[in-house]
Amino acid sequence: MTTDAPIKPHPSPKQYVQIAVILAVLTGVEVGLYYIEQAGVSSRIVYPTLIVLAALKFVIVVAFYMHVRYEKSLIARFFTVGFVGALMLYTVVLGTFGVLAALGG
Amino acid sequence: MASTTAPASTIFRRPKQTSGWMSWLTTVDHKKIGIMYGYSAFFFFILGGLEALILRLQLAGPNGTVLDANEYNAMFTMHGTTMIFLFVMPVGAAFFNYMMPLMIGARDVAFPRMNALSFWIFIFGGIFLYSSFLFGTTGPPAGGNLPGGATDASWLGSTINGGWFMYQPNAGPRFSTGTVLDFGAIGLQILGLASLISAVNFIATIFNMRAKGMKLLRMPVFVWMTLVVAFLLLFSLPIIAVALFMVTFDRQLGTLFFDTFQGGDAILWQHLFWLFGHPEVYILILPAMGIVSETLPVFSRKPLFGYPAVVFAGAAIGFLGFGVWAHHMFASGITPVAQAAFGLATMTIAVPTGIKIFNWMGTMWMGKIKFTTPMLFSLGFVALFVIGGLSGVTHSIVPADWQQTDTYYIVAHFHYVLFGGAIFGIFAGLYYWFPKLTGRMLSERLGKLHFWLMFVGMNLTFGPMHWLGLQGMVRRTWKYPEEYNFGTWNMVVTVGAYTIALSILVFMINWVRSKRRGAESGMDPWDARTIEWSIPNPTPEWNFGVNPEVQALDDWWHRKYDEDDEGRPVRKAEADATIAQFHDQGVNPPAPIHLPSPSYFPFLAGSAFLAIGYGVIYHTKGWGLPLLAFGVILLLSSMIGWSLEPIEEEHEEVHA
Amino acid sequence: MSDIAHDEHLHESTGIETRKLAMWIFLSSEFMFFGALISNYLLFKGRVGYPEPYPSEMFDIPFTSVSSFVLLMSSLTMVLADHAIHRDDQRATRTWIVATALLGMVFLSGQAFEFTEFVLHDPPMKISTNPAASAFFTLTGFHGMHVLIGVIMLLTLAGTSFRKGRLSTATGLNLESVALYWHFVDIIWIVIFTVVYLIK
Repeated sequence: MTTDAPIKPHPSPKQYVQIAVILAVLTGVEVGLYYIEQAGVSSRIVYPTLIVLAALKFVIVVAFYMHVRYEKSLIARFFTVGFVGALMLYTVVLGTFGVLAALGG
Repeated sequence: MASTTAPASTIFRRPKQTSGWMSWLTTVDHKKIGIMYGYSAFFFFILGGLEALILRLQLAGPNGTVLDANEYNAMFTMHGTTMIFLFVMPVGAAFFNYMMPLMIGARDVAFPRMNALSFWIFIFGGIFLYSSFLFGTTGPPAGGNLPGGATDASWLGSTINGGWFMYQPNAGPRFSTGTVLDFGAIGLQILGLASLISAVNFIATIFNMRAKGMKLLRMPVFVWMTLVVAFLLLFSLPIIAVALFMVTFDRQLGTLFFDTFQGGDAILWQHLFWLFGHPEVYILILPAMGIVSETLPVFSRKPLFGYPAVVFAGAAIGFLGFGVWAHHMFASGITPVAQAAFGLATMTIAVPTGIKIFNWMGTMWMGKIKFTTPMLFSLGFVALFVIGGLSGVTHSIVPADWQQTDTYYIVAHFHYVLFGGAIFGIFAGLYYWFPKLTGRMLSERLGKLHFWLMFVGMNLTFGPMHWLGLQGMVRRTWKYPEEYNFGTWNMVVTVGAYTIALSILVFMINWVRSKRRGAESGMDPWDARTIEWSIPNPTPEWNFGVNPEVQALDDWWHRKYDEDDEGRPVRKAEADATIAQFHDQGVNPPAPIHLPSPSYFPFLAGSAFLAIGYGVIYHTKGWGLPLLAFGVILLLSSMIGWSLEPIEEEHEEVHA
Repeated sequence: MSDIAHDEHLHESTGIETRKLAMWIFLSSEFMFFGALISNYLLFKGRVGYPEPYPSEMFDIPFTSVSSFVLLMSSLTMVLADHAIHRDDQRATRTWIVATALLGMVFLSGQAFEFTEFVLHDPPMKISTNPAASAFFTLTGFHGMHVLIGVIMLLTLAGTSFRKGRLSTATGLNLESVALYWHFVDIIWIVIFTVVYLIK
C-alpha cells in the first residue's frame, strides 16, 4: 500500500492491546454502573455517565482502530457528517413525539 | 499496469463478447450502462404515461365510468411510483453514468462492476414491481367492520394501490390484506438498494477519479449536481430502507410498528417516509438543474454567471432539503412549534433556489442566444420551474397549506416542478448530448415541434389543476359529481394530457429517425465549453485517447477562445487545428489502453433479488422459503465469485 | 465488492485509496440506517399498556455484557490482522482474520441464545408481542445481520488466503475495508449496549 501512506505512523500491536485493555475496563465500569443504579443510586447521575462512557469507547475505536486519527481529514468529515446528521435528524423526530422530554424528566 | 494476479479461475469462463446481447448483459462500460438505464427508464416513462392517460380518461367528465375506485387507486399509485422511481431517478442515473465520467476526464466510474450491479438490481426491481399486475391480490380489511377497499378481480385494479407514499396503517396488514403492497414495499426496497450502490460509486468516482487539474471548483455544474444527488441518496435511502423493512415486517412477521390498534404509530411512518421523501424531490430536480446549467452557457455563448454561487446554492438546497420534511405533515397534527419551525425552514429553501434562477438569467443576459431545441427546453425549464417553485412557497405558509393539502393544487405544484422542471431539463439534456451517443444530431424541426406541443400540453394539463384545487377538488378522487362544476377544466386537463402524449410521439419518431439518418454532428457541434466535447462522437470505447489535463473551468472553451479587451470571446487562430488534434488522438490512442473486462456476476447478483423478493412474499407457501434460500445462495455465490475475479483480464488491450 | 477502473495513469485525486474511501462513504450512510432503528426502539419502549413482557424486563445483563465484551475484543483481533497485512505478515494476517471471524460467531451464537430465551420465556416475548419488542428484535436483528455479513466477508478473505497462499492489498476484497466495516459494526453495538440494555 503505497498510495495511502499514513500521515502519522499507526500504533504498534502493543499499543493496540493497551487500547483494548482500556476499552475492556470502560465496559466493566459501565456494567458496574448498571448495578449501582439497580442498588438505588439516582439514574440522573448514572445515565449521563453511561452515555459519556459509551461516547468515549466509540471515539477510541473510531480514532485508533479505524485510524481516523491517522487519516486525511476528508474521512473524519464523512464520518462526522453521517454521525452528526443522523443524531440531529432523529433528535428532532423524537422531539416532535415528546420522547426527549420524557427521557429528561 | 496490467493486472498481476493469476488468471481468473472462477466458475465461468470470462465473457468476451463486445457486440450482441451478451455484450450488453455482461458490460461494465459506464456508457453502455448509461444507455441501458436510459432506454429502460424511457420504457417505464411510457408505461407511467399510459397510466396517466387512463386516469385522465376517467376524469375527463363528471361521473367517469372508465375505471372503478380500486382501479383508479391502483392507476394513480403506479403512475406516481413509476414516474419517480422507474423514470426520473433512473434517467438521472443514465445521465450520471454516461456523462459524469466524461466530464471529469475519467475512463470509467470507480467501480465498474458495482455500476453494472446497480443497473441490474434496478431492472429486476422494476420487473418485480410491475409483476404485481400479474400476481398481486387485493382483499377487504381484516377483522370485521373496517372501512376500506374491496377485492378487485380486474388485473388493472390488482396492483400497488396505497399511493406512492403508502401511508400507514392504510397500507398495513390490517387494511390491505392482499399481496399488492408487499410488492410495493419490497420492490421499492430493491430499487433503493440499486440507487444506494450507485450513490457510493458516484461519490467515490467524483472524489477520486478526476483528471489532472480537475479541481473541485473546476468541475462542470452537472458533475456538482451529480455529487449532491449522490449524497442525498446516500443519506436518505437508509431511512426509507428502515421504514420499508418495518412495513414488510408488519405485513410478513406480525410486528406492530404501524398497527395503531396495538400501540403502533401512524405518524412515525410519515416522519420516516418524508425524511426520505423530501430529499427525494431534490434528487429528482437537481440533475435537471445541472443539465440546464450546462446548456444555458453554451447557447448564450457566455460563461455561467456566478459559477461558485450556483454550486454553493445546489449544495445548500441539498443540505436544507434534509430539514424540511415535516412540511408534508402540516395537516397531521404535529405541534404548532414544529409547524412554525418547518414552515420557516421551508421558506429558506427559496433562497438558494432563487440564487440559481437569478444566475441562469444572468447567464443569458446580454448573451448571443441561439434558440436551438435544447435551449428551448432549458428556457421552458426555467420558466415552468419558477411557477412551480412559487406555488411551492405558498405551501410553506401553514394555514394556507391546510387549505391546499390533498387538493389538486398540490398536484399542480409538483407537476410544475417535476414535469415542467425535471422532465424539461431531461429533454434538454437528451437533445444536447444526443451527438455523444450517436455522432448524429436530432432533427431541429421535429425537436421544436416536440417542444411547443409539450410546452402547451403541459400548461393545459397542470395549469387548470391550480384552480381546480383551490375550488376544492380533492386529490386522488376517482370521480366527481356534475354539480361541482369541475367538468370544464377537467376536460381541458385531459386534452392537455393527450397533447403531451402526442409530443412524446413526435420525440420518439425524431429519435428513431435521427439515430439512423440524422445529420452528422462532427466532434463539437454546439461549440461547447466542457471536456466531454473534446473527444470524438460517438464516444470511443476508451473515452479519452490521452488522459486529459485541465487548466481551467470550461477548459475546452478556453482551448478554442481568447477574450478581447471587453471580455468578448475571440476564436483563436489555431482553434480548428486544436479540434483536429483532439479528434485524432481520440480516434487513435497513442498508447495501449486497458479497460475493465465484462463480467457475468453483476447480472447474476441482480437477478437474485427477484428470487429473494418473491421468496419473502410467498414464504408461507411451500415453495417460498426454498426460493428465498435459492436467492440468498445465488447472491452470496455471485458476490464471492465476483471478489475472486480480477477486475481486468490480461491481454485486454484495446488497439485502435 | 471491490474493483477499480484502473489504467496506467490511475491516481486518486484525494490521496485516499478508492475502496477505502467507498467504504467510508457507505458507513456514513449506515448511521442513518441504525439511527432510525434506535429511534424506533426509544419511541416504543416507553409506550406501556400493551401485552407484556417488554424487552427491558427480559435483559440478562451479565450475559449480554460478556457477548459485548467478545465483540469489542474482535475489534482488537481485526486491527491486528490489518496491522499484519500492512507488514505483509501472511501467517499473522490469516490467524487474526480467523480469530475475528470466530469471535464474531461467538457473538452471533450469544444473540441466537438470547432470542431463543426470550421467545421460550413464559409468557413469551416474540416480535409480535408489543411494539417495543418489535423494535428491539428488528434493531438487534439487523445488527446481527451486519455481523453475519462481516463474518462471511472475513471467511471469504481467509478462504482466498488459503487458496492463493497469500492475501494481496492490491486486488480483490480489501482487508482494510472489511476491517473498517467490522469496527463500525462494533461501535454500533457500543451504542446499542448502552442505550438499549443499560439505560432503562
